[in-house]
Amino acid sequence: MTNPGHDFICRDVVENIMDYIDKELDLETLTELEKHTGMCPECRAFVDTYKRMLDLAGKLKEKKFVTPDIRNRLRILLQSKVKPS
Amino acid sequence: MERGFIKRFINTVTRAKSSSDTAMSAVTDEELVRMYIERGDELIYEEILSRHADKVFGLALRITRTTEDAEEVFQEVFMTLSKKIGTFRGESKFSSWLYRVTANAAYMRLRAEKKHESNISLESYAPYDEKGSLMGRIKNKDWSSRPDLAIFSKEAVTIIENSINELPESNRVVFHLRDIEGLSNEEAAEVLGLSVAAVKSRLHRARLFLRDKLSDYFYEWRK
Repeated sequence: MTNPGHDFICRDVVENIMDYIDKELDLETLTELEKHTGMCPECRAFVDTYKRMLDLAGKLKEKKFVTPDIRNRLRILLQSKVKPS
Repeated sequence: MERGFIKRFINTVTRAKSSSDTAMSAVTDEELVRMYIERGDELIYEEILSRHADKVFGLALRITRTTEDAEEVFQEVFMTLSKKIGTFRGESKFSSWLYRVTANAAYMRLRAEKKHESNISLESYAPYDEKGSLMGRIKNKDWSSRPDLAIFSKEAVTIIENSINELPESNRVVFHLRDIEGLSNEEAAEVLGLSVAAVKSRLHRARLFLRDKLSDYFYEWRK
C-alpha cells in the first residue's frame, strides 16, 4: 500500500512483491510499482528472478519420497497393530 | 450412505487400480474419508494413503530434516489416521487436517530430540540498502533469462533444496506449504495455527533469502 505523496522506491517493490505476485495489490500501488519497475532495471531483475525462484521451488512438488520399501514397512506396521473396524 | 453407491464406488476403485486413475480422481478426499469411516475398507484406505503419502512424508522431512525421523512421523500419522480418522469433522479440507496432524507429530519429535536448528535470523533480511535502493545489487546477477535447462537442472534443484533447509524452521515450513505444496496463505495459517499476517511475513523473508541464494549460485555458475 502506498502513502499519498510517497515516491515509490526499490524498497516498496520488494515489500509489495508478494501481493504483486498474488495479484492482490490495489490499483494505485500496482500502477506505481509497474511504473517504477518500468524505469528501474534493478527492480525488473529482482521481480524476474523472484518469479523464476518460485518456478524452481514449484518443481520440488514433483519429488517422490515414499518408496515401495517405506510403504511396505508401513503396511507391516498397520497389519501388526491396527485392525480397521 | 446408500449401499448401491458404495458398491459402485468399490468397483470403481478396483477398476481404477487395474486400468486408469481417471475415474478415481473424480472422487474427492472428503468422500473417500466418509466412505472409509463407514466401511473401514482397506482398499479405500490404500487410496487415501496413495494420495497423501508423499505430502505427509515431504512435510515431515521439511520439519525434522532427516529421512529416519520423517519416516517415523509418516508411520505415526498413518497409524493415527487408521484409528482416529473419525475425528475428522469435515470443517476444513481433509488435506489441511492431515497436514496439521503431520506438523504436530513432526514438531513433537523435533522438540523431543532437541535438534540443532538454524540460527540464521531473517527478521530484517532484505536486499535493499539503508536508503531503500537496490542499485548495484541485483542486475549484475540477473539469471532470469537463463534457459530452462539450466534453471531447472538437477544441480539447481539441489541448491534450492539445501537452501530451504538452511532456513529457520518457522520460515522453512511456511515456504514448504505455500510454495511447494501450493496451499493458500489462509490454508497455511490454519495448518500452522498462525495468523495470515504471520504466514505472509515468514514467507516473504524466506523467498527473499532463497532468491538471493539462487542468485549467488547462478552468478558463480556463470563465472
